[in-house]
Amino acid sequence: MTVLDFIIAGLKAIVILVAVIQVVPVMIYVERKVAALIQDRPGPNRVGPFGLLQPVADALKFLLKEDPIPLYTHRLLYTLAPFLSLIPACLVIAALPIADKAILFGKEITIQISDLDVSLIYVLAIGSLGVYGILFGGWASNNKYSLIGALRSASQMVSYELPLGLAAVGAVMVFGTFSLREMVLQQEGTLLGVLPNWGIFYQPIGFLIFLVASFAETNRLPFDLPESEAELVAGFHTEYGSMKFATFFMAEYMNLATMSGLMTVIYFGGWHLPWVTDAQLLELLGSQNLLCLIQVGTYIFKVSVFMFLYVLIRWTLPRFRFDQLLTLSWGSLIPIGLLNIVVSAILMYVLGGK
Amino acid sequence: METLLPLAILLIVSLLLCASILIVTQLLGPKNPVPSRLESYECGIKPESGPHVPFKSSFYLIAVLFLLFDVEAAFFLPWALVYKESLAEGPALLWALLVYLGLMAVGLFYILQKKILRLN
Repeated sequence: MTVLDFIIAGLKAIVILVAVIQVVPVMIYVERKVAALIQDRPGPNRVGPFGLLQPVADALKFLLKEDPIPLYTHRLLYTLAPFLSLIPACLVIAALPIADKAILFGKEITIQISDLDVSLIYVLAIGSLGVYGILFGGWASNNKYSLIGALRSASQMVSYELPLGLAAVGAVMVFGTFSLREMVLQQEGTLLGVLPNWGIFYQPIGFLIFLVASFAETNRLPFDLPESEAELVAGFHTEYGSMKFATFFMAEYMNLATMSGLMTVIYFGGWHLPWVTDAQLLELLGSQNLLCLIQVGTYIFKVSVFMFLYVLIRWTLPRFRFDQLLTLSWGSLIPIGLLNIVVSAILMYVLGGK
Repeated sequence: METLLPLAILLIVSLLLCASILIVTQLLGPKNPVPSRLESYECGIKPESGPHVPFKSSFYLIAVLFLLFDVEAAFFLPWALVYKESLAEGPALLWALLVYLGLMAVGLFYILQKKILRLN
């Protein structure tokens, strides 16, 4: 491994991480504007044109606020907790294949931080570490609301990890690989000549389970019981202020981006445009780097569609009750996930292969 | 090595990000700890008793069940990886799945029938 490889790896990590962090201000703006649209009010419109600078103002305000540590808290865990949820959120993006490859400095560079063989398992494993941040934050805060919010959050996240894993099993069966990059490469071209060759057409039920479970994993409405403000003030982050509070939200929005990216990669063909193969595009454009830009654009577009869906659903559906939430996971999603595996296995046997 | 080094770099970068967040708020924010500001926030009322209230044992059961089922679900992953290739040699893995899944379904049916998820 040469110095150039080392520099490229570092640059890739920094550029992709910074790009994913940019999701946070954009999502704050979109979320507030869509909320305003649905509730028939103007939304942020004072800072900058159309209120576009509102997230910047928010971030500055968070930074300039006092950051007190309340009395009787467990100081170490209280301080660590937001970062324990941010670090896994930063780490999971390493496995997402954003585009195929570009040619820079006379080298082929894959647009993915790390091309792990087991990237799907890596995402599921590291992604679930985020629950520690929430649990520690709630427990260390010395507050009843925080504790109950953290407990709810922990049991919700572990309950919905199972359906997520089972849906992933279905995808692994179809693609026969754990590598997300390999999955995307297999989704090129068309299926039966009409449909794009995307995972959703092989695993429609798996996709639905994955979608529902991803809402719960990221603590979004209709599953945001950890912070249901009507019952628990703000749940696990009741005692947090200033940038520590914002860190929890950064982690949440980055997880949102990861989950959307995962759905794009597994079920919606990743960087592929529908009905066109990469070879055809390359012939048309004549440049690998141009193709790479188009792939990145396609990926970002698909991810944005999912992120917008998250926002729309947040402002459309009411919140679940906690026992309904658990019954939905254990009573519906897990049995359906198991059935999905059986049905896929039998269909694959009957149809032979895919 | 080629796959782990970028991960290490990413870990270091995110640790630096966390450290900078921590330091910047300490530098920029005012420091004026008023006693009432440091109290725990329970709607303006003085907190009764400690924060670590008793809670439903169901939370504990869910954690235990999760452990069980997650281990069981983890066994699916290597199975799923080789399933497609194994189809060429007949349905042996399909039968294995049905037996294993049958056992898992019995367990799932048992916990659902015990109604431990009823929290109210």
